[in-house]
Amino acid sequence: MAAEAPVKQRTPVRSERPTRDVPWNVVVWNDPVTLMSYVVLVFRRLFGHDLETATTLMLQVHNEGKAVVATQPREQAEISVAKLHAFGLQATLARV
Amino acid sequence: MAAIERRRGRIEVELDDRERQVLIHIVDDLRAGLGTEPRTVPRAYDDPLLEDEYRRLTRPEVEGLRTADVDGLREALTAGGDRCRLDEDAALAWLRALNHLRLVAGGRLGLEEDGWEETLAGPEVEGDDYAMLVTLGWLQDAIIAAIDG
Repeated sequence: MAAEAPVKQRTPVRSERPTRDVPWNVVVWNDPVTLMSYVVLVFRRLFGHDLETATTLMLQVHNEGKAVVATQPREQAEISVAKLHAFGLQATLARV
Repeated sequence: MAAIERRRGRIEVELDDRERQVLIHIVDDLRAGLGTEPRTVPRAYDDPLLEDEYRRLTRPEVEGLRTADVDGLREALTAGGDRCRLDEDAALAWLRALNHLRLVAGGRLGLEEDGWEETLAGPEVEGDDYAMLVTLGWLQDAIIAAIDG
């Protein structure tokens, strides 16, 4: 894991909202400029994937335009997206 | 000639004075586009309210890290010495900085589709933005190969 990637500690001000517990997809979108080798490395470091899994995900992004790289509770998914943004990848959250 | 290799657990980036000067010039040129080039301001949500909240909560940290990464790369290049020894965290910081800068160059060139390496032609290919994009891509790829090697 990248030690310096941002970790947002947040008070659960809206924990009473049931939507906070619904899982969200973390989606990474294809970018024509970003190197494939870089995307693989980021997936390995951020999500702990082995080379084969990270490469499969990267190729899905490349060939299909996007891939779901994680499904997490919203707060955790936002942290994942922020880390991906810190690495310069195009990442969004989408309802499962 | 630049050489990048893994040695004793570190990534050694060997760049002569002229190569470092070129890279410093590239960093200074492209960093002006950070935060304005749309690719360097990625969206997290389609919903505008959720997006506003996301930006308020995360942007200072994400942009602070980006600035630190680019500053760190520039400082390493200006510190002098032909050899930079990077541990894993420093190598990742270089890779992030290089990627942010490449996004600016790619944005200036209007690259929206895969395959531009084959299809891009004309004055763009002869311009500075293309040269900077390719140069930084070469350096980024070589560091990644050294990390995996």
